[in-house]
Amino acid sequence: MRELLLAFLSSAVGTLGFAMLLHAPKRSWLPGSLVAGAAFLVYDLLVRTGLSEASSILFGSIFGSILAQILARKMKMISTVFVTLSIVSFVPGLGLYRCMMYLESDQASLGVKAGVDAMICIAMITLGLGVGGFLYRMFHALVEGWKRKAQGT
Amino acid sequence: MEKQANRAFDALGFLQLAGKMIMEYGGETFRVEETMQRMGCAFGLEDVESFAVPSGVFVSFRDEHGQVQSGVCRVRRKGTDLKKVDEVNRISRMLVGGEITKGEAYARLQQIEREKPFPTGIPRLLAGGLCAGGFAVMFQGGVQDAVLAFAVGFLVQLFSDFMDSRRMQSMVTILMGAFFSALVPTLVHDLIGGIHLEATVAGTLMPMLPGLAMTNAVQDTVREDMVSSVSHFAQAVITAALVAGGALLGSGLMRLLEGGNI
Repeated sequence: MRELLLAFLSSAVGTLGFAMLLHAPKRSWLPGSLVAGAAFLVYDLLVRTGLSEASSILFGSIFGSILAQILARKMKMISTVFVTLSIVSFVPGLGLYRCMMYLESDQASLGVKAGVDAMICIAMITLGLGVGGFLYRMFHALVEGWKRKAQGT
Repeated sequence: MEKQANRAFDALGFLQLAGKMIMEYGGETFRVEETMQRMGCAFGLEDVESFAVPSGVFVSFRDEHGQVQSGVCRVRRKGTDLKKVDEVNRISRMLVGGEITKGEAYARLQQIEREKPFPTGIPRLLAGGLCAGGFAVMFQGGVQDAVLAFAVGFLVQLFSDFMDSRRMQSMVTILMGAFFSALVPTLVHDLIGGIHLEATVAGTLMPMLPGLAMTNAVQDTVREDMVSSVSHFAQAVITAALVAGGALLGSGLMRLLEGGNI
């Protein structure tokens, strides 16, 4: 429990700093950081349940993307702010560093593996953002359709 | 006649300014095109067409005399300021909703362009430290790793802001920033010890990674704008390569100083 809380908080705090560096609007700082923390928590939980790293990142970024789009609509802000913040924790900084370290210490095969893993992470984030955006738009269109139908009857 | 021509010219200048600002401060291409299109329609202009790529904005419309007005605007990135992108988007929404007049919108747009970004100075340096420190803990680092990452993040941000103020190319800044991000924690690790090197370095590298470029690339891909999408992907890949290269240089130099081979 403590580890999960730490994962959530550390991701949220790191993202808060990132939001400030992007000059995101002030009122987006806290909600954006909390979305990032929640997305990372989903990823962390899935990894702990034994799901692969790549699949966990995929589901984490889908979750983060949907949450970010909902928040953007509720707060009447551009989705870029929240979507960017929601995936920052997944960007493979550690993977990139490991890749370089292995290559630098002449462990080419490990370096290539770390590099490929980092590329897979990026692909999963990209896919997650795309799928999350698609699911949100589909859900939103359905809700709007139901609303119109309800008003019509 | 001349007055009417001026009015058309103003509309052109307004649309170009709005589109240029979104692109300059890190907005997506589709947002630039949509915003210019909607604002143009809100002005009562006909056949409004807009086209944007990361390095330029093009707009054309038919004025009240049936004449086609068009303009091209070269875009040079001025860094990232999502608040400005959000504000331009808000003005567009208010203009379309009839909440503000054309004159008010233009005045607000100019005001936004003049506004200084927040945070700057010490708060921005603290943000760099906060980002690095937070992510160091996320990568399984301890308290001492977070403190060191905070200090390095603070210093790297200071260096980065200094380079920006000297109008150095952002690529050089990223490369040098990543170099220091790897060098300083490795130096501390070798001299004092007791830190989780991987977590500290990875944490300090995080503020430089291309999160926004990746998001923009995906958003453009989803809207089938392949030109901008490929361009943003290339930007993300180059940035990541520079970060990795800088980190490699930093740790390589340390290894050289320790008497090993690079």
